[in-house]
Amino acid sequence: MLEIKNLQAEIDGKKILNGINLVVNPGEVHAIMGPNGAGKSTLSAVLAGRADYEVTGGSVSFNGKDLLEMAPEDRAREGVFLAFQYPVEIPGVSTVNFLKTAINEKRKYLGLDPMEATDFLKFMREKMELMEMDKALTSRSLNEGFSGGEKKRNEVFQMAMLEPKLSIMDETDSGLDIDALRLVSAGVNKLKDGERSFVVITHYQRLLDYIVPDFVHVLYKGRIVKSGDAGLAKELEVKGYDWIKNEVEAAV
Amino acid sequence: MLTEKVKQDFQQYILQAEKGNAFTQIREHAFAEFEKLGFPTIKQEEWKYTNLKTVTEKEFQSTCEINSHIKELVKQSIFAQLKANLLVFVNGTFVSELSSILETDTAVVIGSLATERKNHEAVFTRHFGKYAKVEGEAMNALNTALLSDGAFVHVAAGKTVQFPIVIYNLVDGSDMNVLNQPRNLIVLEKSASATVVEAYFATGKNASFTNVVTEIYADENAHLEQYKIQQQEGECYQNNFTQVFQESNTSINHVTLTLDGTFVRNNLHFYMNGKNCNSLLYGLYVTGSKNFVDNHTRVDHAQPNGFSDEKYKGILKDQSTAVFNGKIVVHLDAQKTNAYQRNQNILLSDEATVNTKPQLEIFADDVKCTHGATIGQLDEEPMFYLRSRGIPESEARKMLLNAFADDIAEKIKIPELVALLEEQIDKKL
Repeated sequence: MLEIKNLQAEIDGKKILNGINLVVNPGEVHAIMGPNGAGKSTLSAVLAGRADYEVTGGSVSFNGKDLLEMAPEDRAREGVFLAFQYPVEIPGVSTVNFLKTAINEKRKYLGLDPMEATDFLKFMREKMELMEMDKALTSRSLNEGFSGGEKKRNEVFQMAMLEPKLSIMDETDSGLDIDALRLVSAGVNKLKDGERSFVVITHYQRLLDYIVPDFVHVLYKGRIVKSGDAGLAKELEVKGYDWIKNEVEAAV
Repeated sequence: MLTEKVKQDFQQYILQAEKGNAFTQIREHAFAEFEKLGFPTIKQEEWKYTNLKTVTEKEFQSTCEINSHIKELVKQSIFAQLKANLLVFVNGTFVSELSSILETDTAVVIGSLATERKNHEAVFTRHFGKYAKVEGEAMNALNTALLSDGAFVHVAAGKTVQFPIVIYNLVDGSDMNVLNQPRNLIVLEKSASATVVEAYFATGKNASFTNVVTEIYADENAHLEQYKIQQQEGECYQNNFTQVFQESNTSINHVTLTLDGTFVRNNLHFYMNGKNCNSLLYGLYVTGSKNFVDNHTRVDHAQPNGFSDEKYKGILKDQSTAVFNGKIVVHLDAQKTNAYQRNQNILLSDEATVNTKPQLEIFADDVKCTHGATIGQLDEEPMFYLRSRGIPESEARKMLLNAFADDIAEKIKIPELVALLEEQIDKKL
């Protein structure tokens, strides 16, 4: 589904990604962990198409298409979803209107007719129930005045609405208390269907207690320096990142 | 050139005017003031960024002929379709066959100034020219001396006008450059309430200059919703002066929407002559090409416990220019005043310009005043957020600009007007 080869990227002339290789197959959950400044958020930003980053080498293909060539909106319509670390508040844009536009733009791209208003509302109600979303939240402006937890839940709710093939979750656990973490994770787990894939970017292991990964990768200095199964995350929780840093430095 | 033209017009007027009549005297005095002052120039502080030279060098005619195709045009307008008391003026002339008054209560007068000033002489004499001063205000003086016609609204004490009053001004430049000087007088007696919509449109290939003055008097406990829509397409120049005079416990909600026009200068002045007044001033300007929009506002807190809230927002495209100058004067007696003012601008082009200037003059010591101005581009972060959900850039921009404008749109209580605004924003952006 997703194939990243030797991906290199920089911002303001500073190299952040130094050759990332990663293959994500349908239905897989990959966790990307690493210390601060390792390039985790840069990787998600580059995949979603944020303009601030310049890709200086390598390639990313998504279902056979060159992802890096696409505008951010086309990546989304192809089925890539980024759950933001800091979702933006957009006063004056209603959540319902926003979702309807997003869904119908995607349908247009796929050559489908727009969803009827009643069908859309029914679909939204279903997803709200599934995600245990408070009705009051969707009647407000997009993320406006939402708490940190509400914003993250809204990201997962949008994920449920847009039904992406690949979801990239950028530090979704940051700033969440344990209850919010549980709700968000439960939402993600409900979306797993054996076909959808997830890339979960996180600094801490605790999110991975709820969203159990098939693979865990450690990112350090812009490269994946270690890969393993869910056990690797537990090991990191106990030992921290220093031993990996030492391993890497020793190998150089 | 315009100076000569108005001089001739005034001489003509004087020849047929009733000598010694109070109204004639007011106009003579006004013209004398205008002659003393001349047209404003950029050397005057209040006109620093606003150059009338292109207007004053042009030739204009004052005309009262109405082309027949105009009637169809007016009938198609959404204002003509609103359930409203409609007063239609074409090139400053009242067109009664296009106008319709739904109000049946005889304690409410809605009509043309030329007619109603005679039927309601006491009201007219008491209020006309009392609020929009001609001294030091050349454009008011010119309007007063040479006014064509306009709306006369008088709402008796305790009465509520059921439907909005729409003052529809159309400039028809099909045959010539048109000079148009409408004059409105709106008087709300104690506890009266009304909604008034002023709409300015234009048609025809020639240029026009509209110099309009509106005086509003609100007696104790009166309430007014006032909306102004300026959408004169083509080479249209407009100078629009509104003076609101408020007695105690009155509340006025004003919204100005400037959607088109080569040159628009608005002066919106509020004077709180009584305690506990509420003045809300909101504005939205959406400019393109080389158009110019200037909003000068002034709120005089002359008495205690006044509240004023002001927010003007601008979206500028192309090589357009906007000016905002918001003055709040808190007089010595106006203790416990609360006054807020904001001006926010989004520039969609590198060549657009905004000059913004808040001015506070505070002479009382127990007051709360804030002001602020911002000029910037559309934020990248919300843009990326929307795009990352599959919404294309152009659509995302529209959504964000609509959201920006929504702040002002929500102050309008006529849904058809809000819909018109949204449609226009969509069209322009």
